Amino acid sequence: MIPFERDDDGQLVASLTEPESALLSSLAAQVADMLDELGSAPHITDPDAAALYESVGIGGSTTLHDDPAIARLLPNAYSDDLDASRDFRGLTERSLAARKVANARAVIASLDAARSAAGELRLDAALVQSWMRTLVDIRLTIAARLGIEHDGDGLDGDGLDSGPRADDTDRRSAGHGESDDSLVMRDVYDWLGWVSESLMEAVE
Amino acid sequence: MPQLLEDTDLREETALDVPWVTLVWNDPVNLMSYVSYVFRSYFGFSRAVADKRMLLVHNEGRAVVASGSREEMERHVEAMHDFGLWATLQKDDA
Repeated sequence: MIPFERDDDGQLVASLTEPESALLSSLAAQVADMLDELGSAPHITDPDAAALYESVGIGGSTTLHDDPAIARLLPNAYSDDLDASRDFRGLTERSLAARKVANARAVIASLDAARSAAGELRLDAALVQSWMRTLVDIRLTIAARLGIEHDGDGLDGDGLDSGPRADDTDRRSAGHGESDDSLVMRDVYDWLGWVSESLMEAVE
Repeated sequence: MPQLLEDTDLREETALDVPWVTLVWNDPVNLMSYVSYVFRSYFGFSRAVADKRMLLVHNEGRAVVASGSREEMERHVEAMHDFGLWATLQKDDA
């Protein structure tokens, strides 16, 4: 990938290889699929879906989701008041999930456009916003799957991620009994952090 | 007309009596540069203020980023969730 740069017309431009583009598309699609049912208006096509919407309600769920990734993307609004959190979720969850799905799909569409332009990705101001948010949603989802939840779990090990660093070596050889899949996911997570940092540097 | 003014004053007083705050919490995922950007672009903070609040989140675990009416804070919290930041609102009793 050639990092993001601001073009003369104000758009942000980057260049992606086919595998990079396919990976980002797949990850964005996974986030969209994960949130799609929560963000959609009820359209009852089978008994399972009907049961789901029965429990979910029109505007949103009543409690924090069991899936830690969804719970992090759609967190409680009140840290000390479950009733207020439930009411707030009932009013806002569906539209929030729908916006996240729309952002992910905008990212996928821009990647499709890049593939038919020799890998050149062009983002206008609206797409930049979708990209920022979707990169965060993907990284939060991977972090939840990897169990990166508290200070010390992160690659940075110190709260907010300060971004990729050149001296980030030997992390894996320290060994935490991670599976091969986890190691691959960590590499992807690292790379996504680098893509995000590149995007933020071009935005500033 | 004096009646109208009195009503306005009363409403402002009520809002001031029950202040709510929006908190942003530390997480190990969001980039420091991104959090600072969100604070500037959404709340209109200067870079100095945004970086100070961001570092508070980073070092203290959380920071107050706004205060005002409950409805206003709910809008801010939803916007922060839209950005992928972990935010909550509560009464300003701390």
